[in-house]
Amino acid sequence: MLTLLRDLRRLRHTAALPRPDRGRSLAIRHVDAGSCNGCEHELTLASSPYYDLQRFGLGLVASPRHADVLLVTGPVTSRMREPLLTAYHAMPEPRRVAALGDCALGCNLLGTHDALVGAVDEVLPVALRISGCPPRPDEIAAALLALIDQDDAP
Amino acid sequence: MTYRDQIASALAEGFRFAGLYASAGGVVHVALNEPGGALLRESVVAHDGRVPTIVDLTAAAGWDEREAADLYGVTFDGHEPLRPLVEHDLELATWTVGVRGDDAYQVAVGPIHAGVIESGHFRFHVVGDRILHLDARLFYKHRGLERAAEKHTLEEGLAYAQRACAACAVSNSVAYAHACEQILGLRATSELARVRTVLLELERTWSHLNDIAAVCAGVGLAAGNTFFSALTERARRLNEQLTGHRFLFDSIQIGGSRLSVAAASVAAAREELASIAADSKTGWRELLFNASFQDRLPDIGVVTAGDASALGAVGPTARASGLAIDARSNAVGLAYNGLTPVAPRRAAGDVQARLEQRAVELLQTFDVLDTLLDRRIEHSAAEPAGEGRAYGLSLVESPRGATFCAVEQHGGRIERLHLRTGSYANWPVVAHAAAGNLLPDFPLINKSFELCYACADR
Repeated sequence: MLTLLRDLRRLRHTAALPRPDRGRSLAIRHVDAGSCNGCEHELTLASSPYYDLQRFGLGLVASPRHADVLLVTGPVTSRMREPLLTAYHAMPEPRRVAALGDCALGCNLLGTHDALVGAVDEVLPVALRISGCPPRPDEIAAALLALIDQDDAP
Repeated sequence: MTYRDQIASALAEGFRFAGLYASAGGVVHVALNEPGGALLRESVVAHDGRVPTIVDLTAAAGWDEREAADLYGVTFDGHEPLRPLVEHDLELATWTVGVRGDDAYQVAVGPIHAGVIESGHFRFHVVGDRILHLDARLFYKHRGLERAAEKHTLEEGLAYAQRACAACAVSNSVAYAHACEQILGLRATSELARVRTVLLELERTWSHLNDIAAVCAGVGLAAGNTFFSALTERARRLNEQLTGHRFLFDSIQIGGSRLSVAAASVAAAREELASIAADSKTGWRELLFNASFQDRLPDIGVVTAGDASALGAVGPTARASGLAIDARSNAVGLAYNGLTPVAPRRAAGDVQARLEQRAVELLQTFDVLDTLLDRRIEHSAAEPAGEGRAYGLSLVESPRGATFCAVEQHGGRIERLHLRTGSYANWPVVAHAAAGNLLPDFPLINKSFELCYACADR
């Protein structure tokens, strides 16, 4: 196992991500509101050795009760509207919502009117928009890092 | 012969169930996969919205019939109880199997899970820590993609098949393109077959690497998880270098391929794949000799060969249970040249076997890619091959198993699009595999299948 870890140590030095100005942290809760699974796969890799989001104080947490940011992927389906709102209302204040990916931003949505509610901002106030189909892990990381230094909660 | 008799006799002759779907006007179609690879379609017209069930002939049709009942209002006589699948009825008793007895209780998980995981609900019936039964309620991510594709041109329909799922984007697109090419009376040239095979195997490469990382995460082995995550990242970067997209989006077209890659870039890709292959072998060896990791894997989430066959398991799930089935072995229009399905030495159908299945399949995938990436990739077009027809049926081996696609059209407009992915076929198998195991083992069992919710829900 040590062999595996030795090589990994140098990988994260190759990612050129901006350092946040101050040493702070954000706890992020992800909710899939109906995505194609592309944003999830890229978000997973944002925690991989190449990017290693945790070292910037960005951690994905298991419960909305521990979260500062609700990171939402996908167009909101009619079945996910209620669970999404429940997760949001379970968060302590101040809280912010980030929409991850073109579907969450309402671009080129595919589906029927019955099955889809639409973009995330039709359901929740969105503070951060991360475009891309899907956004690359470094784009996700850079956008979240910018949010760390943003003081004003909506 | 009646509809049921025809299906019963086909199944007796070794045909496998490939999918069942309803169309407007109450017609139910069943696709059967002949042992030689060809697809056959049997259709029956509903009388008063009713058709006889075939779920007693093949349990694999269970979800298909429930979906057709929910979305097209067809009642399947003899399918009792015909529980809702896509329809999210609020009454718990209508969609769960009743479990009664002392100390039996339910654990509800999801639709939102604790990690970066797609949305879906699992309702476990347990005694103590032991799972008696699992009802999986998916379709939280149902976007109505099949309905939304109707009335669009065949060309426009490709987006609906592709965007059903990022992890199976190429497989779904190729399945859709094959179905459309039958409609248009086209056949892939050897160059087109080569390009599509390369793209399918690139998708399998990142997907299988990701699956090995996921099982490591399920066990809590951070070193294995990060190592295979790093390899997944390299595979996705390679996809971007070759096609301009990390998930190979928009790399498949109907009737041809617009992908063009210079010889030097192809050679560089081949070299990077050889390096990824060497590193994944190193990582795999470390996993094999890590006793605390290996101790967690055997004898949980067992799917026997008999159950896998009866439930219609496909892909790595089926092969890890000892069924030598792989849609690549007799694929038409792809460059597999009679690939032989591989399996681990101990195809016991447990978590260990499904994990090792990924590792042995990766070796085969690296070989296929190494053979095919021997020269530049050029634009190519399909060639005319006789008359077209009103509908097309296809079966393509995705990283998660055989994906069936049906396209019906009139005047160049889609009348019905149906996609039955490898994940869809395997979800009932996950529920079956969970029973009898400990509840804390479920995340690991689930990860050993690593199915998509997106392309099951559509």
